Amino acid sequence: MLSRGHMATLAEQVVTVDQYAEAQPGRGVHLKGLSKHYDLKGGHVVALDNIDLDIREGEFVCIVGPSGCGKTSLLRILAGLEEPSGGVLDIDIDAGARPLRSMVFQGNGIFPWMKVIDNAAYGLTARGVPKREAHALADAYLEKLGIAQFRDAWPRQLSGGMLQRVNLARAFANDPAILLMDEPFGALDEQTKILAYADLLGLWEKTRKTVLFITHSIDEAIILADRVCVMSRRPGRIKDVFEVDLPRPRAVFDLQNNIDFMRIRKNVWSSLRDEVVPAGAHPEAST
Amino acid sequence: MSNDIASRPRPSLGSPSLLSIATPLALLVLWEVSARLGWIDVRIIPAPSAIAVEFAGLFASGEIWPHLFATTVRFVVGTVVGVVPGVLLGLTMGIFPRVRAALQPLIMLFYPLPRIALFPLMLMIVGLNERANVLMIALGPFFTMLISTMAAVLSIDSLYKDVAASFRTNTRDLYFRVMLPASLPMIFSGLHISIGLALMTTTAVEFLNAETGLGYMIWHSWQILSIKLSLTCLILSGLIGALFYGLFQQIEKSLLVWQKSSR
Repeated sequence: MLSRGHMATLAEQVVTVDQYAEAQPGRGVHLKGLSKHYDLKGGHVVALDNIDLDIREGEFVCIVGPSGCGKTSLLRILAGLEEPSGGVLDIDIDAGARPLRSMVFQGNGIFPWMKVIDNAAYGLTARGVPKREAHALADAYLEKLGIAQFRDAWPRQLSGGMLQRVNLARAFANDPAILLMDEPFGALDEQTKILAYADLLGLWEKTRKTVLFITHSIDEAIILADRVCVMSRRPGRIKDVFEVDLPRPRAVFDLQNNIDFMRIRKNVWSSLRDEVVPAGAHPEAST
Repeated sequence: MSNDIASRPRPSLGSPSLLSIATPLALLVLWEVSARLGWIDVRIIPAPSAIAVEFAGLFASGEIWPHLFATTVRFVVGTVVGVVPGVLLGLTMGIFPRVRAALQPLIMLFYPLPRIALFPLMLMIVGLNERANVLMIALGPFFTMLISTMAAVLSIDSLYKDVAASFRTNTRDLYFRVMLPASLPMIFSGLHISIGLALMTTTAVEFLNAETGLGYMIWHSWQILSIKLSLTCLILSGLIGALFYGLFQQIEKSLLVWQKSSR
């Protein structure tokens, strides 16, 4: 259950899950009572338990949670790569001729056997867009991300940061209505990460796709998101939801010293801390 | 930004390739000297110079060409007839667990059989003709490619399979734009083994069911006790194998430029 103690002090940012579900009946992605169980050799594992979440169309939502809380399972279910064990997943978004959803994976998943341009155009060519047209669209994104000069290079010739840009180009060129991102920047160093946030937000602000972004970094979540959801330890549930009322476009490069940023950060951490640090395990952590 | 493109120095071609020429050459010299000094009986193992003379004679008279041609055709056709379905079925069994579950027991049953022992059966079913020869030659490459391609698909990083699935990749693209290229490094190792197997079987079927070809020549010249001719043909068929091995290495190099080089 939600920890009511926090709720009083954080009233301005926290919207409880139940209230939120009632307040937002509009278009978007609606999860109701979603659960996921695995039968492994070690026994029965409840990865996700009774997840309720509504994501508005065009909203950027980040989920933070302790490792092993089922964040990735949730994303894979939304991506259609896994089936939920129970509950309702309702995607009420009209993608038209565009693909409904694409997933951006941990690590970059750039195919080493294709040149950069063929990777960037992969989503398009995979759904039958003629090569010339697909390459033109992909080239535009490589250009926007500043890696146009590497279009004919092999992925092995690029650094991790640049491969992640190719990954963003591939995801955005495919133009899905919903982007599902699974800790895509986890492997990057801190400086490269900041640049990646700027790249991602730059693309997102022009397209306003619905984004569900998973991370274990609170800073990353607040820099990027409209709302930050904190997930509990396994079995994963949505514990708290925080509105990020920072103006857009976000000042990615100095946000971490912003007073509002620090206020939100403090609130998110006090919710997440109880999940990361088991009660009583580290007495000093509760001070 | 340009420093992100690492300049990769090509391995120096000087000393390693010199060594690869030096060892066979040294062996030849040793052989020649041994024959000249009478350490080995030249009636059983003739000197390289004697074989070279025989070699030159065969080409000068033109007598060898039809045999060389017949062996090359059997070897190439047999390899292709084995490799192509082997790779396709290997991809299929790697991609679809149900197909794998259904066919794997059969493969495990047939793969370890001494294939040449199936030749009489093959002749009974297909007939005493070239088709039986080609099918017999194809069996080795078929099983080798099937098993190595399937293993390659199963060892592909699941991240790439997830990416392909997330982009709703259709079956044809899954085969030829994802699984096949991702498996190519292991497919080429399988190809190198297949070439050796195919050449071995080509020689064997020519012993048994042919009136042309280097295998036929080797067996025939042994029966008339012309060891020189027999050895010459043996060396010729080895050269065919080496030629195709080298050819495939060149193809491999150009198809796998995307790989991080570890050589």
